[in-house]
Amino acid sequence: MKDSLVLLGRVPAHPDSRCWYLAWNPAGTLLASCGGDRRVRIWGTEGDSWVCKSVLSDGHQRTVRKVAWSPCGNYLASASFDATTCIWKRNQDGFECVTTLEGHENEVKSVAWAPSGNLLATCSRDKSVWVWEVDEEDEYECVSVLSSHTQDVKHVVWHPSQELLASASYDDTVKLYREEEDDWVCCATLEGHESTVWSLAFDPSGQRLASCSDDRTVRIWQQYLPGNEQGVACSSSDLSWKCVCTLSGFHSRTIYDIAWCQLTGALATACGDDAIRVFEEDPGSDPQQPTFSLTAHLPQAHSQDVNCVAWNPKELGLLASCSDDGEVAFWKYQRPEAL
Amino acid sequence: MASPFSGALQLTDLDDYIRPSQDCIKPIKVDKRLGSGVAKIHIEDDGSYFQVSQARGTQKLEKAKISLNDCLACSGCVTSAESVLIIQQSHEELRKILNANKVAVPDQQKLVVISVSPQSVASLAARFQLNPTDTSRKLTSFFKKIGVHYVFDTAFSRNFSLLESQREFVQRFQSQANSGQALPVLASACPGWICYAEKTHGSFLLPHLSTVRSPQQVMGALVKDFFAQQQHLTPDRLYHVTVMPCYDKKLEASRPDFFNQEFQTRDVDCVITTGEMFKLLEEEGVSFPDLEPAPLDVLSSCASAEEPTSHRGGGSGGYLEHVFRHAAWELFGIHVAEVTYKPLRNKDFQEVTLERDGQVLLHFATAYGFRNIQNLVQKLRRGRCPYHYVEVMACPSGCLNGGGQLRALDGRSKELLQQVERLYGEVRTQEPRDVPGVQKLYRHWLQGEGSNRAGHLLYTQYHAVEKASFGFSIKW
Repeated sequence: MKDSLVLLGRVPAHPDSRCWYLAWNPAGTLLASCGGDRRVRIWGTEGDSWVCKSVLSDGHQRTVRKVAWSPCGNYLASASFDATTCIWKRNQDGFECVTTLEGHENEVKSVAWAPSGNLLATCSRDKSVWVWEVDEEDEYECVSVLSSHTQDVKHVVWHPSQELLASASYDDTVKLYREEEDDWVCCATLEGHESTVWSLAFDPSGQRLASCSDDRTVRIWQQYLPGNEQGVACSSSDLSWKCVCTLSGFHSRTIYDIAWCQLTGALATACGDDAIRVFEEDPGSDPQQPTFSLTAHLPQAHSQDVNCVAWNPKELGLLASCSDDGEVAFWKYQRPEAL
Repeated sequence: MASPFSGALQLTDLDDYIRPSQDCIKPIKVDKRLGSGVAKIHIEDDGSYFQVSQARGTQKLEKAKISLNDCLACSGCVTSAESVLIIQQSHEELRKILNANKVAVPDQQKLVVISVSPQSVASLAARFQLNPTDTSRKLTSFFKKIGVHYVFDTAFSRNFSLLESQREFVQRFQSQANSGQALPVLASACPGWICYAEKTHGSFLLPHLSTVRSPQQVMGALVKDFFAQQQHLTPDRLYHVTVMPCYDKKLEASRPDFFNQEFQTRDVDCVITTGEMFKLLEEEGVSFPDLEPAPLDVLSSCASAEEPTSHRGGGSGGYLEHVFRHAAWELFGIHVAEVTYKPLRNKDFQEVTLERDGQVLLHFATAYGFRNIQNLVQKLRRGRCPYHYVEVMACPSGCLNGGGQLRALDGRSKELLQQVERLYGEVRTQEPRDVPGVQKLYRHWLQGEGSNRAGHLLYTQYHAVEKASFGFSIKW
């Protein structure tokens, strides 16, 4: 397990500030980082090293908390504590802010594009989740304001292939939403975490959702269709989600982020104890009661809290992480042979 | 617990369920005497505070109380905690007044007047499976039984809201060349929307808001001004309660604009929601369907009392419809028999246009629910709002779906809403101008249409709530 995570490089991405979040473009060639310096930076490789290709400044007045690429890779959305979300369009010279989405009452905490690229979700400390629709002229209209959470909403993520949205909140719950007639509705509430749920990740199939929390656990939720063989109760036509695995005892502080590798199914976590951990499902474990093993643990991955982990969507085992220390680190993950 | 307030209000943070004492940042003014020197504050075992000073010994300190007005005037969190509302406006408060009347000497008694909204009637009618006329009559009967003196219908005061909305729009449309800010006119009968506009968008939206009073507040003027005079009573001797489909109406009634300084009384003393109305029926142990129907009261002697009447244009009052048809005639000489609504992105955002020779003369819209309000506001901010008039309501589906309405017992809320809409639509509609009593009230009570008195009693104003900045709000 010792050498399963190897450092490839480290860059001071947001010096004298925190680096909050990372996002790989769909081609896996560019990494966007954002931070407390109100800037978004775009990183690419030159030879063996990672270099800053663009700096997106002037978009936000306060911390940029999260960034997300559109599925086509031509747009980048940035969510900021200044209550706005900027949409940046990639052109030959770099990135240009084409729209600013306003409406949230205060800090926007997260942003995510639906797999179709026609919908965007944002969430905020104002406790709401918003769904936006994009038209051909880059015009955004709010199609729904969802006020299901009772506290700060920390994260939003879309199902990898369906128009199903999930959100995580300071109210300790995860909520799922789908479209019904001409509005969006909350169709499930996942309860179990005992403190703030910080982040979420779907597995490659979209049948499982991982959540990580201030309660220092990771929970794996599995989707059950109505009439499932396992006899898990479903209300009418909606999917049901059941917690099938809890990873506890591994993390000593808040788990801020979780990433499910879309290529290998490996699960990485970013923790307030400065460590990065990777888990893999045990071969032959019961799909209804899966077990996961810790396959990598790097205690001092960063000198401060690790805020985000992100698997490269194309290059097997390439993991990026970022931290309160302002740095971005690149890692090569190799599954230990013992497994 | 789900919040009772409209989505727009929840977003303004008015509804955080923070108890006022816990986290309120509203500075409280404390009357302090100078020169008393250093004092210590001592906390008793029961949690009460005592000030101990050399000069004046031990004094119990008063608790700071946050009123609804404090909340309304503050851009900070919140309180709204329901407890604040309940202190001032609930069916318990109505009961207190009625009980006090029973023991008071005659000249200390209050004349209790209740004004019921047609949306509340439709909601109760659906629950009791009655028609709106029977529901209104039985409601009147119930209220009289528990000691209420008069029961009115806010559809009557809505005549004035609609007529003045028509007049205001035509004026603003005609003067748009002089002032670029006059259009679009945004309807202002929805208090959730007004609160959001004032708190979140400062002075940006306010010039667009219609300054006409909502039916509730016109009723306030009718009851505390016209009707009080008729009864030879000063306004503070009347206790005026409205029954509304919406919690936000409680906030509207509490606005300082509707407070009579001279008599220290509000135009509407208390607002109870349809749900609280239902609770009152239950607590009184009344079998509503079995009540004998009572004749309806009328404000003006020449108004009709046979059956309730309403207005065309939907369950939120019909503002767009009335303004559109009036403006088409007044401005372009076009008679519009039927208004055709064209749904846009969703059923709560619809457009209406008046065209001549392929040219758009009037472009109106309805925008219900917070998401559509957002898109409207963003259009305005970007200078891309094509509309002349927008009927804005904070609740999806409008007032019949208000937060204070009765909920479906079986969870089938869509079916219930359709039923309430059908019942609401059963009531015979009238043109506001033709409603008996309206013209007479304009002549005698208001001293003519467009008079200063009408301006004073039928209009209101809005106030931007500037965001305060606080030392402890850390800016990352």
